[in-house]
Amino acid sequence: MSNLNYTIEVNNLTKVYGPPDSGVLAVDHINFQVHQGEVFGFLGPNGAGKTTTQRMLTTLLEPTEGRIVIFGHDLARDAYPVKRQMGLVPEESNVYTELTAWDNLMFTAQLYRVSRAERAERAQQLLETFGLGEKRDVKVENFSKGMRRRLSIAMAIIHRPTLLFLDEPTPGLDAQSARAIRDLIRQLNAEGTTIFLTTHQIEEANQLCDRVAIINHGRIAAIDTPERLKAAFRRVQSVEVALEPPAGSEPAGGLAALPKVTTSVKMGDKWRLYTEDPSTLLPLVVDYARENGLKVISLSTLGPSLEDVFLELTGQQVGTVRHEMQEDKPRRRGMGGGR
Amino acid sequence: MKSAPLQRLQGELAQAWVVIVKDMKVHYLRPGMIMFGFLMPFFMFFSFSVRREMAAAQGVARLLALTTFFTAGAAGPFIIPLERRLGTYDRLLAAPMSLLTLLLGKAAVGTLFAIGVSIFSLIVGVVAFGASIAQPWLLVAGVILGSFSFSALGLIFGSVPTRNPGDVQMPSTLLRWGLLFISGTFIPLTEMAPAARAVAYLSPLTYAQDLMNHAVLGMGLLSPWLDLLVLLASGILFMVSPVWMHRRARRLGY
Repeated sequence: MSNLNYTIEVNNLTKVYGPPDSGVLAVDHINFQVHQGEVFGFLGPNGAGKTTTQRMLTTLLEPTEGRIVIFGHDLARDAYPVKRQMGLVPEESNVYTELTAWDNLMFTAQLYRVSRAERAERAQQLLETFGLGEKRDVKVENFSKGMRRRLSIAMAIIHRPTLLFLDEPTPGLDAQSARAIRDLIRQLNAEGTTIFLTTHQIEEANQLCDRVAIINHGRIAAIDTPERLKAAFRRVQSVEVALEPPAGSEPAGGLAALPKVTTSVKMGDKWRLYTEDPSTLLPLVVDYARENGLKVISLSTLGPSLEDVFLELTGQQVGTVRHEMQEDKPRRRGMGGGR
Repeated sequence: MKSAPLQRLQGELAQAWVVIVKDMKVHYLRPGMIMFGFLMPFFMFFSFSVRREMAAAQGVARLLALTTFFTAGAAGPFIIPLERRLGTYDRLLAAPMSLLTLLLGKAAVGTLFAIGVSIFSLIVGVVAFGASIAQPWLLVAGVILGSFSFSALGLIFGSVPTRNPGDVQMPSTLLRWGLLFISGTFIPLTEMAPAARAVAYLSPLTYAQDLMNHAVLGMGLLSPWLDLLVLLASGILFMVSPVWMHRRARRLGY
């Protein structure tokens, strides 16, 4: 029996590309629920099964196994009423470049059977909201990537969906456009739209989502609020320090050898030292700086970020990848010592 | 007050029309459509008809069969893979309409394109070559049903799950060329050997050409009713495959 408090209920959902007995397993018996009115983030590395899951939820793919219930309707049996209430913004802005912004909106409105009386008013309102009012009669082929993205979102919500799927809405956009789109997502959610956000941009999920699910190798690794997930990973707390060595001396590479440091990562002109005990490590860092004649530019303690949680859950130990990358480039250390 | 199924049907028809209008605006003037849908039939006609003894009416009947056949079949293998590549096909598949509605809309895009080019061919035939039409109603029915059948045939190729139109345009063109030479378009059925004629009867183009002969020349080998029936039946049959292929692609994730 489905629970009407849930907008989406996913049970045992599985997808095998190709024949079920010999194909490629992309999503492996996952379960989750999305509550009405929440922003639900679906995070995972490339190839983890995010887009496959979203394509099953939007009826573009048929599950190999399992059940999807949206708005109380079993998607396998009764997709039509669900489709009328959902909007989809895919990863690529799928707008018709040969048409004007206005024609794109009119086409989508007609496709979703928005009444003739409401169509024009709603389209004009969306163009204004999305900053495209002056471009109404311009062919989309002349639009920037950010403008196409905004138009794509406008097309997805012209029929006032109560559930909106967004697949990687901001990658490739400039900071201003990305921020505008995040603001729009917040606004839509505030107006009551349930948002299913697929992304690999962890900070975006951290800023926008009420809850996140982290998927890895086709399986759900964790589902919770960003803050609770972070709280569960206190072992990845860190101390971030920027030290300035005297001219001609070695940089602060010895920080990694300090007691209590589990992993160290050089991040630009700073070092991030991961530790389970930042209060003990802090004075050790200060002592190290004093003993080596290094000037402390900045020093702070950090809780685990959602990115740290993500890396832990997806099997990449925090700092490992970045540390290895840094070790691959030993010359940078030498260059840093010249300051 | 309308019943729910009637309302749904009315809505689906309206959505199919929206898809048709959009495709006309977006795709009709694309080079691929002009090349394979407009120029190809005329190229074929002139290649095999110039400097041959043929009455004007006979030429018009042949040209009409060629235009319905080539023009209608050009849309499916071109538009659907292109839309897949641009990501716009997902927008249509996710919309609240049935797969059949979407595919009927796509079939109608090719059908209407072929009807338009056929009208152009007819005007050329009548004005430039002074041809007359023996049975206009058969001409109208033949152009509509022939265009529908060949457009549905093109949809089969468009339903191959690829994002590159070139992957399906080549095999689609090869099949159409093959059908062209076995269907009594360039060699009349009466001049064919019995075995070749038996093969010709397997091709829907045979019936389209025979129907055009009835319509323009006033005579054909088969019954015009049989021609109409075969074109309608083949159109319906050709619509079944794209539905099955789309469902299979959705199930297997291609």
